[in-house]
Amino acid sequence: MNYNLNDLQAKAPKSSTWSSLGKLLQLISHERKNLIMAMIAILVNSTLNLLGPLIIGHTIDQYIFVPHKNYHGVLVNCSILMGMYLVALLSSYLQTILMGGVGQRMLFTLRNAIFNKLQLLPVGFFNQNKAGDLISRINNDTDKLNQFFSQSLMQFIGSIATMLGAGIFLLSINIELGSATLIPAVIILIFTVLTSPWVKRKNARNLKSVGGMSAEIQESLNNFKVIIAFNRRDYFRKRFDEANQQNYDTAIGAGIANNSYVPVFGLFSSMAQLIVLAFGIYLISKGQFAIGLLVSYFSYANQFYNPLRQLAALWTNFQTAMAGWDRISHILTLETDLIKVNDVVADPSASLLEFRNVHFSYDESREILHNINFKLERGKTYALVGPTGGGKTTTASLIARLYDATKGTILLNGKDIRAYEAVDRTKKIGFILQEPFLFTGTVRDNILYGNELYVNYTNEELEKVILEANLGTLLAIFESGLDTKVLSSGDSISLGQKQLIAFMRAVLRNPDLLILDEATANIDTITEKLLSDILNKLPDTTTRVIIAHRLNTIENADEIFFVNSGEVIRAGSFHHAMDMLLQGKRVS
Amino acid sequence: MKPTNNSTPKPPGIFSLLKPYSGLVTMLILFALFSNTVTLWLPKIISHGIDDYIHSLFTHTKYDVNSTLVKFTLAVVFIFIFAYLQTIIQTYTSEKVARDLRTRLSDKISRQSSAFIEQVNPSKLLTNLTADVDSIKLFVSQALVSIVSSVFIIVGASVLLLTINWKLGLCIIAIIPIIGGTFFYVLKKVRALFIKSRGVIDWLNKVINESILGSALIRVINSQQLEFDKFLRANSEARDIGLSILRLFSGLIPIITFTANLASLSILALGGHFVINGTMTLGDFAAFNSYLAQLIFPILVIGFMSNIIAQATASFQRINVVLDTTDTSETGETVAQLNGDIELKDISVFYGQKPALKQVSFKVNAGSKIAIIGPTAAGKSQLLYLLTGLIKPTSGDILFDDRGIDTYNSESFHSQVGFVFQDSIIFNMSIRENIAFSDTVTDESLQKAIQTAELDGFIDSLPEKLSTIVSERGSSLSGGQKQRIMLARALAINPKVLLLDDFTARVDNTTEEKILANVQKNYPGLTLISVTQKIASVEQYDQIILLMQGEIIASGKHQELMKSSPEYVQIFNSQQSTSNYELQSK
Repeated sequence: MNYNLNDLQAKAPKSSTWSSLGKLLQLISHERKNLIMAMIAILVNSTLNLLGPLIIGHTIDQYIFVPHKNYHGVLVNCSILMGMYLVALLSSYLQTILMGGVGQRMLFTLRNAIFNKLQLLPVGFFNQNKAGDLISRINNDTDKLNQFFSQSLMQFIGSIATMLGAGIFLLSINIELGSATLIPAVIILIFTVLTSPWVKRKNARNLKSVGGMSAEIQESLNNFKVIIAFNRRDYFRKRFDEANQQNYDTAIGAGIANNSYVPVFGLFSSMAQLIVLAFGIYLISKGQFAIGLLVSYFSYANQFYNPLRQLAALWTNFQTAMAGWDRISHILTLETDLIKVNDVVADPSASLLEFRNVHFSYDESREILHNINFKLERGKTYALVGPTGGGKTTTASLIARLYDATKGTILLNGKDIRAYEAVDRTKKIGFILQEPFLFTGTVRDNILYGNELYVNYTNEELEKVILEANLGTLLAIFESGLDTKVLSSGDSISLGQKQLIAFMRAVLRNPDLLILDEATANIDTITEKLLSDILNKLPDTTTRVIIAHRLNTIENADEIFFVNSGEVIRAGSFHHAMDMLLQGKRVS
Repeated sequence: MKPTNNSTPKPPGIFSLLKPYSGLVTMLILFALFSNTVTLWLPKIISHGIDDYIHSLFTHTKYDVNSTLVKFTLAVVFIFIFAYLQTIIQTYTSEKVARDLRTRLSDKISRQSSAFIEQVNPSKLLTNLTADVDSIKLFVSQALVSIVSSVFIIVGASVLLLTINWKLGLCIIAIIPIIGGTFFYVLKKVRALFIKSRGVIDWLNKVINESILGSALIRVINSQQLEFDKFLRANSEARDIGLSILRLFSGLIPIITFTANLASLSILALGGHFVINGTMTLGDFAAFNSYLAQLIFPILVIGFMSNIIAQATASFQRINVVLDTTDTSETGETVAQLNGDIELKDISVFYGQKPALKQVSFKVNAGSKIAIIGPTAAGKSQLLYLLTGLIKPTSGDILFDDRGIDTYNSESFHSQVGFVFQDSIIFNMSIRENIAFSDTVTDESLQKAIQTAELDGFIDSLPEKLSTIVSERGSSLSGGQKQRIMLARALAINPKVLLLDDFTARVDNTTEEKILANVQKNYPGLTLISVTQKIASVEQYDQIILLMQGEIIASGKHQELMKSSPEYVQIFNSQQSTSNYELQSK
């Protein structure tokens, strides 16, 4: 299955702004009540804002600009205005807090949805995408949405409401002049609709190069010691400069596209004023319009076009947010290829694990495993040996169902491994990966990671458990025991120590089948002896699968499989395996 | 404009950043002022048009609407051109500033030691290079122009108000400090929340990053729910901070609008009174209302922009911390062919109070082979890091050919010392680029390195041979393949000294033997220092150093150690059974 996001994005049909907006709105369908209340607040607020000038104009016409000036009437209208302003104070507060709340909660839901999806996708997804690019996609692109929702959304909606109101006033005062005044707005609309895909494309390109750049930085900085040891500081600079320059180019493209709205909108709003002036005077000269009305008409035209100018700026925010959302929604549409199938109930008399005619390939071009058949029995120790690149790790990954076989079946307790719930399967199968991974935290956090059994144990109780599991000597290697701090990245503790933590983590989970993929490769041989003693003391029913180059780690195996060139051959004896290993040609 | 906080001795202010771009910035501000000035004229043109029309009605002269239209059109086109030019310059300037700042940063970073990168943490540097630079970019592209234009408009409108009617004018201008004061008060609170929210975003990113990098483990353990819960906690916190910021803003904006409304109310009440008194004309009265509208928006803009400036200043300070770090001084000038004699004298390395290496001394003769063995966390890798100059000793001397390691020109030094790291580090490039990682590598030495590392068969089997792109974390390669690519990378520079950090861990015995024989044959005279776990493969070495808890507890040839060191014998015995077998089967 192809999980490469950049690849998929190139192939995906172009989605329109509205359809992606629709998808986005589905996320807040449960906010209907808040949205309606916010809309009411916005409506009240805009109406009050528009009525203000009308009352002021009325006051002037009725009480000030008349022969019989009436200051009392002015004061009465002032108190009416005061009341309106107080209501507007409340409605504007409500509008902001309700709409902003919806935005914030939507962002929250969205982040959760992405992260949740990320957890549902299989390992293949992570191997096909650069970590730096993924991280940028999730951090940067959601931030673009964040900026829109927390800063621009309320303005966006407020502006639209004011515009609509002003538009209605314009048309209702004089339909002819109103229509003429709104012509530039129609041109702006057409212009916006026509250019939006272009702007969005420019922004998407820019976001992509931002992703590329942060992937580049991530990769170089995390491996800085290689750059120094090989004296390639210049190389780091060169590669970064390339990414930087590319980012600059796309950013200029996006910037010019984004910024072109403001002057264009400005131009057309001024055109509208020109129309009001020219057409208005024409109408007045024909006796169809009054000069006083023309003055208030200008203010309504401004009320219409000023928010439109703001919308120009907001629109680009919106486009950037949508470009970000597009990149994110590509992740959301992905589905795991590890589908659960239905199968008969488990058969306790069957082998613990069986490979039946299993074929596997990561991509269509090259098959990695060819027609693998073997059985693993309960309580036995198996060794997978063979030259590097022969397919040992791949075989182990299939057992742990990090991938599914391309063809053939893998049976766990006689039942298709794909028919198990993940919880049940992972309880049965433990897998110590070749590259140990630690979470930032303490040794305790890492040993108990994902282990619900001991979560609430105090350190003393846990130490007792560790001693009972014969892991005490391993823990002693860490200077502050369970409370030793570890960092996910960097060299704060050695690779060997990381492997020890991964080992303890797996053993404490007490799986039926424990796979060790070169899990002790960087641990000294004396400590390694301890580990193999610990393995030997695991319950009688535990099956162990050991992948190793170091022979002493596998000499106690009950059975040895020789894995080479994508084939798994059962060796008759340790000596037989050794001979194959020593003579075996490496064909990768 | 912005209250400058003078609490700290002033680092170069953010405006200093703009110096090299003063031409562009001046143009930017000029263009903005041009279009703004003309924009202020637009209402004048219209009101003159109306006045002229009214005048023509009274005087019964013919009103020439065309001149007004021409003036207006010219003004509009003028505004459009300058506004457009302004946005283009704005984009170029801000992107240029951002690009150049990134280049400066990366240049600076590229001159730092690996320990520095580790210490300040790559993800923080990533933030410096992305988010921090972005906030400075925002400052250049938006804040600069907006503030200049806003100040211009506020001053202009205020002056006009005062000239029309100073009593009413003062009354209206009084709202500027009220709105400004509320704004600064709220923004100060918001800023504290912004800092908090940055922390939460870092937290969110950490959870995301670890869940991506540890994705395989999470799937093996089925701890997706656990990760989701972690994320949910961080995300809820982010939402709550977002809502607190929102509450502050949702109070702020209505108060400002309300204040502005009160101002227009006082215009009506007070101005109305003046008009009724006859001390003010109706036209002036109308002008007051329109200038009020023009006055409020710039005040808000300055408020928002001051926030952008504050963020940009904070970002600039963070970036300056990196820019101000001293370069790893290139003290060495010696450009000499290394012989391969190495000596460590009383080397100690401390991390805080904790010693990683204690008083380590040993000598290596050119062309000899040395093994370093010892338990997990004994300080073996640290020792190799010292020998490549990746870390510096707390005390003691490291000599290559009797000269301190610091006296060598690092370029010349690194091109003669090959290092195979313990962890697989594969770059997302072609295999060729991964191996020929230094530009001094010739095709010939590349081929020799590939053959020596026994990679030719594997590379030939790939459809695109050497041009095959391997992925970032090298997941398309097996552990042993990665290790051998790393070896080839070290060999391709034709080193005089080769440092292997647990190279044998992921390579099978047969291949390992072949490779070591190849090294022997293809790189004669190479000084080899190998950190390893396996005694069998180093029995013939010239010297074996046993390291435990940062101290050398024994050193010598295999036979000597077998007699003198009980710890060595213990390690030897732990490997005995299989080693015997290996010897037999040879």
